[in-house]
Amino acid sequence: MVAIQSPDAATGNATDAARQLRNRRIATHLGIFLAIVLSWEIASRAGWLDPLFYPRPSAILQSFWLIYVVNGNVWYHLGVTMSLVFAGFVGGSVLGIVLGSLVGLNGTLRRFLKPYVIVLEATPRIAVAPLLIAALGFGVTSKIAIIMLVCFFAPFINTLSGVMNVNQDKLELFRAMGASKWQILRKLVLPDAIPVIMAGERLALTAALSGALVAEFIQRDQGIGSLILVYTRNLNMASAFACIFTLTLLGFLIFRGMEVLDRTIAYWKHEEGRTRVSARRRKAMEGQS
Amino acid sequence: MTNATLANDARILDRIIRFVPHVVLLGLLIGAWELGARTGLITSIMIPRPSAIGGAIVKLYVTEGTIWRHFFVTLTEAVVGFAIGASVAIGLAVASSLSEVFKRYVIPYAIVLNVTPGIALTPVVIAWFGYGMGSKMALAAILCFFPIFVNTLTGLVQVDEDREDLFTSLGASRAQIFAKLRVPSALPLMFAGLKIGLTTALIGAVVAEFAQATDGVGVLMSRFSFQLDMASSIATLLSMTVIGLMLFYTMEFLDDRIVFWRRESRRAAASRAAARTWSGQAGK
Repeated sequence: MVAIQSPDAATGNATDAARQLRNRRIATHLGIFLAIVLSWEIASRAGWLDPLFYPRPSAILQSFWLIYVVNGNVWYHLGVTMSLVFAGFVGGSVLGIVLGSLVGLNGTLRRFLKPYVIVLEATPRIAVAPLLIAALGFGVTSKIAIIMLVCFFAPFINTLSGVMNVNQDKLELFRAMGASKWQILRKLVLPDAIPVIMAGERLALTAALSGALVAEFIQRDQGIGSLILVYTRNLNMASAFACIFTLTLLGFLIFRGMEVLDRTIAYWKHEEGRTRVSARRRKAMEGQS
Repeated sequence: MTNATLANDARILDRIIRFVPHVVLLGLLIGAWELGARTGLITSIMIPRPSAIGGAIVKLYVTEGTIWRHFFVTLTEAVVGFAIGASVAIGLAVASSLSEVFKRYVIPYAIVLNVTPGIALTPVVIAWFGYGMGSKMALAAILCFFPIFVNTLTGLVQVDEDREDLFTSLGASRAQIFAKLRVPSALPLMFAGLKIGLTTALIGAVVAEFAQATDGVGVLMSRFSFQLDMASSIATLLSMTVIGLMLFYTMEFLDDRIVFWRRESRRAAASRAAARTWSGQAGK
């Protein structure tokens, strides 16, 4: 992202200039976007782009109105997909974190599991989808299993490396002060690993959405993936694109949501989180004294 | 026998000894699985016996050899898609690193592309590019674009400032700074992106095959699964692992050769070669 840092505590003139520059840039961004959309629309109306395959922006807008307000059918499918994503994500990432810390803390286990992990990493996990569907049947179970499988790996690998890369000096300090194994895990290893684990969770959540879509493409019963497939099959491309842009928005929200979560959980990684927490502590201490 | 060869022998022996428990464990696991399936503890329709999987592998790869055509179709789709996606990504990244304005107006679209789950485009891509290999290449290209773009751009932009100062104070031109400073320092990150992109390209090819195709291991796999021929399905899955490993290690090899200065041994070899050239010139 291109961020423009406004000069701190500068003169009013400087901030004014910075604001003006930013407004001008936003205007240019919007101008370019509108130019692209308009030329698309014009090309389509002039017959250079086949509207059957490349829907007009105005048609996509119309479809948004249609599927969200007039028919309102998209809500149901969106709800189905999102609950699947949530269930699979929670299951897969809890499994990944637990197994990752177990394997990370146990050297023997790690040595014996390593070759299997390498083989599994090279396999495209989504490819197991048809197998799981055949084994578990059509329906919710196999879909959740696919999502769990797809989002297991990133948290697993990241927890593993986070747990293994403990600062040795700190570890020695903990040992010298007679900390128990559980204390070392809870107060040193896990807090140190949390930023890396959160990075894994972020990857897992995007993977979960993709996993849900693939499961729905194969099963073709309900959910936003099936909806896109059906609209495309009927060559109702405008509605298919309305669904895809919905997913873009959703992806953006997920991205932002994970960032906020990261700031709250791993607050010491970010300046403002650190100052916020230390201010709160200081206030509590002052109250006590 | 000299000391060196003795030490060498000990190292090889050590490696073999360390290898044994792995093999034993794998053998035990497979044995228990086979036994469980034969005694009926594991339903062998859903979880096929290891011997059945072995039989399916022999049948698919050797006696009937049906898998090879599909294997190469998927491999081609992934590699061509990756090549297209990587060229576009690297091209745009280079352009963005050269021009601040270009970067400012390209990045929002790259981010939109990134937050959209690329897999959602599968049906649309198939409608645009047809049922053949073209649509699989297109999806592979779309999926591998972003990691390569972001890593290359980050590498090109994040240059050590002291080095840049040195280059400018020595009067290097913009082209020289780009070719001799920016590109070399971007290569490690770029290769990291290329490795991620290669795996996502394979995923793109396989998923597009699930959705609609006539050839490719993805099609083969869903066909076998829905015929409940799980042994063949798992044998096909293994072929994807093989493709994944092949692609990954090819990239790793290229990484090792091109970004040689990150590895101690390769750096030493390169500096020895350079020293030889220079001393040869000095002797003349």
